[in-house]
Amino acid sequence: MNDLFKGFAKAHAEQNGYLLAATLSPIASSANPQRLRLISKSSNSSSVKGDIKHFIKSNSSHQRNLGHEEVKGWVEVYAAYWNAIGDFVAVEDGKSTWTKVYESWKDLTSALIRGYNNFGFEAWTIPCLYVVGKYLRLFAIRSDTERSRSANDNSGGAALIQDDFDPETEKQSQLRDCEQHLKRIFTLCLNDRAPLEESRKWGIYFIINLLFKTYFKLNSASLSRTILKTLSAYKGDMPALSAFPKSQRVTFKFYEGVLFFLEENYIEAEKYLVEAWELCHKDANANLERILTYLIPCRLLTSHLLPTKAILEPFPRLQKLFLPLAQCIRKGDLRAFDIALQEGEDEFVKRRIYLTLERGRDIALRNLLRKVFIAGGFDELKEGETTPVRRTRVPVAEFRAALCMGSGGELVDTDEVECLLANMIYKDLMKGYIARDRGIVVLSKKGAFPGTGV
Amino acid sequence: MMPSWSSAQHPPGVVPQHPPPASYAYPPNPAFIPVQVRQGFGHYTPPPPPPPAYNMYASNAAQAQASAPGTTTNASPPAPVEQPKGGKTEWPESVRRYVQRSFHPENEDASVSRAELEAKLKDTIGSAKENNSLYTIDWDNMPLPQALVRADREAQLKLHHHAASLSLTTPVYTDDKFNPRKRKSNDFANNDTSTPPWHSTNSGRSLEDRISYSPDKRVALDDPKSSKFQKEANKRKRRFENEYKAANISSPSPTPPTGPIVGTSEVLEKKYLRLTAPPVASNVRPERVLRQTLDLLKKKWRKESNYSYICDQFKSMRQDLTVQRIKNEFTVSVYEIHARIALEKGDIGEYNQCQTQLRSLYAMGLKGNHIEFKAYRILYFIHTANRTGLNDTLADLTAAEKEEKPIKHALDVRSTLALGNYHKFFQLYLDTPNMGAYLMDMFVTRERLAALCNICRGYKPDVKLRFITEELGFESDADAAQFIIDYQGQHLLEDRTEYIAFLTGKAGNLFESSRASAFQKVDIKGQI
Repeated sequence: MNDLFKGFAKAHAEQNGYLLAATLSPIASSANPQRLRLISKSSNSSSVKGDIKHFIKSNSSHQRNLGHEEVKGWVEVYAAYWNAIGDFVAVEDGKSTWTKVYESWKDLTSALIRGYNNFGFEAWTIPCLYVVGKYLRLFAIRSDTERSRSANDNSGGAALIQDDFDPETEKQSQLRDCEQHLKRIFTLCLNDRAPLEESRKWGIYFIINLLFKTYFKLNSASLSRTILKTLSAYKGDMPALSAFPKSQRVTFKFYEGVLFFLEENYIEAEKYLVEAWELCHKDANANLERILTYLIPCRLLTSHLLPTKAILEPFPRLQKLFLPLAQCIRKGDLRAFDIALQEGEDEFVKRRIYLTLERGRDIALRNLLRKVFIAGGFDELKEGETTPVRRTRVPVAEFRAALCMGSGGELVDTDEVECLLANMIYKDLMKGYIARDRGIVVLSKKGAFPGTGV
Repeated sequence: MMPSWSSAQHPPGVVPQHPPPASYAYPPNPAFIPVQVRQGFGHYTPPPPPPPAYNMYASNAAQAQASAPGTTTNASPPAPVEQPKGGKTEWPESVRRYVQRSFHPENEDASVSRAELEAKLKDTIGSAKENNSLYTIDWDNMPLPQALVRADREAQLKLHHHAASLSLTTPVYTDDKFNPRKRKSNDFANNDTSTPPWHSTNSGRSLEDRISYSPDKRVALDDPKSSKFQKEANKRKRRFENEYKAANISSPSPTPPTGPIVGTSEVLEKKYLRLTAPPVASNVRPERVLRQTLDLLKKKWRKESNYSYICDQFKSMRQDLTVQRIKNEFTVSVYEIHARIALEKGDIGEYNQCQTQLRSLYAMGLKGNHIEFKAYRILYFIHTANRTGLNDTLADLTAAEKEEKPIKHALDVRSTLALGNYHKFFQLYLDTPNMGAYLMDMFVTRERLAALCNICRGYKPDVKLRFITEELGFESDADAAQFIIDYQGQHLLEDRTEYIAFLTGKAGNLFESSRASAFQKVDIKGQI
């Protein structure tokens, strides 16, 4: 326990928030693997507050910057921490549950928040909020899994007065609860009116990122929008995002991008994902992979671009996901595309990119139709013409033949072929029109397939 | 897999003709005890005192009645116990919870007056503060002041054996804040000779611990300005008491001390009322009765087709199932039937509630028509353009399920729409299994508009009207023409002796704005 408060005193002397936060970590350091157990054993519930007070005073006596009120607040925080660590150690010994750990960690969170509200904790200490918030979320998730394993616990007292069962809410009830507390931290940071250099506003993006993660996990990503709206209402008072640590910026941009992606706003999504991609540390492969997972489908729809082998080089998993599809799209092989999509379906659905990738079929179709156009060759030169012009009147039957081949020999009837052609025209993937009574497609002489060079 | 009632068996795509629904009314001689929902205060009759035998296990009857005097207690808002003396004192969260719990109506004890309760509470917290044990006491498990008061009395009882009964039975209302109107309810409170110690059997710390009454709300109660709110609250409370009373007369019975309740009501029909307090067993029908109810409702639906009545009845059935935690194949069939009826009447909000439940019931491995309903679910998400929902549904499907006809159909509908293949989409529309057509009808108009936009851009100079009829799945050329005219396209139709032409080349962006507005978010909350 003495070591703990040596760290505490040192952090206060240097005003080093991250050092201070480390004292509140529920993870044993590699230098001292017994750290938690030692802390837990070093006191008991009746005397813990007195002990902590003693340690804080004896270690920080030479410092005048720690006010009486502050000491009081920190005693509460570390008492709650000691309590939580006790549960944590007990779980490792199989004598407690993650639900208990979560509950006691929640008390710690509350004590810490109170510290800022009532005991005048200074803004440099906000990394404590990071650590506490981070583990609150992790413990909530563990508690939820634990409870679902011991299935069918007839908890749900509140459910007793509901009209219907709500199994979804029950399944993640701790994480939902956790969200409430993270939001308290969010408000705590957001509403600080202190001058910017000593404001808790500097904690805002870390906590927003935590909230984003929580919402995505809760399968209600759209709730992130409310956070963003609140944030934009405070925009004027907030330090610019560029002034925050890079790691927080990358995460924030990534989630903002994915949010747009899920809302099918691929143009905006691409913008944010590219920013995240450029900011991301070059060795953070897992994160780069995450960004690409969404950036690739985005690019496919916005600019019809497929990933090169080079860019996928360091990511074997992404190669497996995207390369087969990319090949089929390039070749215009509809049948193979359908199969590849089906084979990857589980993975795609899991990453929420299936519905987007599916639309890549349009590009595959475009490429197939383009081949027909090119195979049609050129019209005979008329008088006065020097450069040959491609044949722009293409019988629907030719497209139909290609489609039947592309679909693996399956017969596609003419009306459906026309329907697909009309779609291509509507989506500006092809320029021209269908003359139905003559059974031909009249394509534009200038760029029948925009952006493809013909 | 066809629905079990005749009126639902329409060919898909055909809008069913129903007799106009009868006005919403209960039959003159209902099988249940009619409950007057709002009763004037003056008409309030005190419930008969419960048989003394129930006192020991805190029957529901006693519980319901005991909350009647509670009306008066509630009338005076809880005094702020946390009155700081001088400086601002920070009360631990747990203490606040404890105070809230003490004043929670659920914990009211007719035998412990408001003043006594407050005094005890102040005493308890005050001494904790003096001993600096505010943060060390386990407030969540601390006995409530009511219990402490009773314990004190019991101690006294042992000392003065004979004198005890008086003080036990007469609640002492010293608070002069009561207005005469409210005092009336005291009259019967005094008649009430029972002192139900129900919270001792109220399954420990179940409900009150889980419901967090935010401190703000308590403050609002303290606010004199909110008397209107309070009045409303009291009114509401009285309404529920009446409800309980009616039920108690029919069959008073004790609750088992723990676990979900087991209903004892024998009435077949019950009006739906949203619960605001834990349910009372005597007002809840057990599964055996609910099965009879379902048969009755099926018959009634066939005969009367009164949707608002049926929906109401189904909701109360669902509620009874939920509060008793009955999750079995019978539950599945209740939800399935309600879902089908709601579908048929286009009550998409109610349908959605049912399908959400069905999803989890199927996930528990319960048997039912899961193929049919999973297919509906897909179609429903197409209708509401809910990509998250669709994605989740896809994730739920097994490979075998994807091959089942209704699901395959729904999946094909989804993918044809995603790729703009309206040709195939309308073929699928005309061949929809089960009741999926009711769902598809909900979004077929917007898809027609989308297809029309496509055709107008893609074809020049014109197409035959018959082509539109066939491609967009209309019943006849007349229907197709009407559709075009409905969207201001009359000038695009041209009669050419042999056929009617649709001048796509001249349409420009005519249908674009209709299309855009048709695709705006669908309001799913609209319930009938």
